[in-house]
Amino acid sequence: MSRARLQQLGVDLPLFPTTSVGSFPKPDYLVKARADFNKGKITAPQLEELERKATAFWIGKQEELGIDVLVDGEMYRGDMVAYFAERLPGFTTSGVVRSYGNRYYHKPIVTGEVRWTNPITVGWWKYAQSLTKKPVKGMLTGPYTVMDWSFNEYYPDRQATCMALAAVIRKEVEALVAAGCKIVQIDEPALSVRPDELRIAIEAMHRVTDGLDAYFITHACYGAFEYIYPDMLQMPVQNFDLEMSNSDLDMIELFRSKPFTKDISFGVVDVHSHLIEDTATVKKRIEQALTILPKEQVWVDPDCGLKTRTVEEAIEKLRACVVAARALRN
Amino acid sequence: MALILSSTGSYPRIGDSPELQVLRRTIAAVDRGERTPADLSDAEAEMTRRAIEEQVRAGIELVTDGLIRWYDPISHIAGKLSNIHIRGLLRFFDTNTYFRQPVLTGRPARTGPMLVDEYLFAANALGSMPTPDGKAARLGIKPVLTGPYTLAKHSIAEDAAMRPLEARAMAYAEALATEVRTLAEAGAQIIQVDEPAILKYPQDWDVFTRALNTLAIVRQDAGRQGKPVKIALCVYFHDCAPLYAKLSALPVDVLRLDFTYNPKLVDVVGAAGSPMPLALGLVDGRNTKLEDVAVVARQAEKLLPRIAGGVAYLSTSCGLEYLPRDRAFAKLQLLARIQAAVEGQRARAVERPA
Repeated sequence: MSRARLQQLGVDLPLFPTTSVGSFPKPDYLVKARADFNKGKITAPQLEELERKATAFWIGKQEELGIDVLVDGEMYRGDMVAYFAERLPGFTTSGVVRSYGNRYYHKPIVTGEVRWTNPITVGWWKYAQSLTKKPVKGMLTGPYTVMDWSFNEYYPDRQATCMALAAVIRKEVEALVAAGCKIVQIDEPALSVRPDELRIAIEAMHRVTDGLDAYFITHACYGAFEYIYPDMLQMPVQNFDLEMSNSDLDMIELFRSKPFTKDISFGVVDVHSHLIEDTATVKKRIEQALTILPKEQVWVDPDCGLKTRTVEEAIEKLRACVVAARALRN
Repeated sequence: MALILSSTGSYPRIGDSPELQVLRRTIAAVDRGERTPADLSDAEAEMTRRAIEEQVRAGIELVTDGLIRWYDPISHIAGKLSNIHIRGLLRFFDTNTYFRQPVLTGRPARTGPMLVDEYLFAANALGSMPTPDGKAARLGIKPVLTGPYTLAKHSIAEDAAMRPLEARAMAYAEALATEVRTLAEAGAQIIQVDEPAILKYPQDWDVFTRALNTLAIVRQDAGRQGKPVKIALCVYFHDCAPLYAKLSALPVDVLRLDFTYNPKLVDVVGAAGSPMPLALGLVDGRNTKLEDVAVVARQAEKLLPRIAGGVAYLSTSCGLEYLPRDRAFAKLQLLARIQAAVEGQRARAVERPA
């Protein structure tokens, strides 16, 4: 069914399409440039020039590796929620809070009515797509996650906040689709945090995607999916991109209990490990997926964004995905 | 009725200014091989001292070490036990923070003191700070343990004998009971035991209580041996109301409740009363919005006459590591303003003619 939708959109993909979740590590020169920009040492255009250079590097690298559905690598983003919040009136930015280990981010605060005034990601998507003939995914963060990962000092409750954000994010999706984007990934890593609120996340995703002509993917990770499966399959998307390897594929048993009815982007390499998985390991993980899913439903990618790895590690993990997928195609 | 200001556990490890980034930078430098584990220990010590100093400066009386050294609430404890290795990341409840999952390869066993050094460091740090006016003999350090049931619920087992939840919980309970005794011998007078998972999984009540009883028995033994110690059970991250009656009958000395998940919990507790001192988590430790002092003070005033034991604690709903540092400090200052409002109201009530 989803293959047909892709073909209707003019997107023809091989068996086991390879992709990645979104972020790649920033090259050292860009890390330094972002620090220099924050200190006022370089201008915004100077920073953007380096962000475009890094984006071109990653597009080229994905093509060289043979990835099928590309991402821009998010060279221009820091945090996946803060990036959008910083560009939407209604948000202010807090001081840093911890995510895990030694990772911190500026958690946004909703302090007023959130509004969409201009496209946020469309320019970067257009630029990345101009560098390749392969499809480049539009990459957004979903309304439930933006709500859950923000402080709220304005809306009366979580549902009201989430639906207000859904209306805003829909405008960005509309802008991406109007620009020609065929595959849009709307990340909802917070999807499982409050099982009793799954209905809110689903309602919000309907608000974001209903009636729009694209193939929609949602990414979720590091959650307690046993409490929202199979109800989570009601999310109005064609593809669930899931972290599988970090938890030793334990979700396979969950999917065995009730059929997984959508396409899956099956995480086959752990993004929180320096270890580069060998081809045999990755092939075995894909073969595990095939014990419960038709091969036409399976995409292959890393568990999550690769930005926490080094450039070299990220490349080798992507290569592991491609080599294993190709071996299985044959 | 004494109303004591109390921290709930964690405090931000960093802040926005350069001097508050020392721990983050040191960890990164250690990862790059540019600094040593000793440097890391120094940075943790510095940020622990700062966390304690900020709590005291805000007016908190029963403070913690901020759990500055904790990677997360699960692996920091479980990782100190034998027969456990620490696996990948999982989300911690409905927070945007993560813990590393313990995998039990056998029965977890204590190999030595787990948190005593951290407790003693914090106690010495507090003792070396100037005591604010009016706080003489009112300041104390409270060690925090993640409880055996919550540890078990967040662990998995490769060892078949440890696969039943109860087996894991009782193994953790045995190890933690020894730690409770050791902390009491080291001078701890009150120990906070965090069991947030029971609110989310009430079907595990029997396992939860059996594990908790193990700690309660050790606490009684310590008292008989001249080292009296109180156990404060702390629950958060879910609605406390459905379990309140059962929670208030547990063999603990203080019950710490998160009031932010159900606005009706004040009415529930107010109607039922409490047979033991309560710690009132009336201020949201998860959101930056500062509560109205008068509103929270009225809630506290409604609850205080219904609490037995002659003492209650006022606190945030959970640890403050989920807030940016400036807001965390502001929440603690808010607690002090609420305490002043409550005490002012009570003083005015006493002054009124009968």
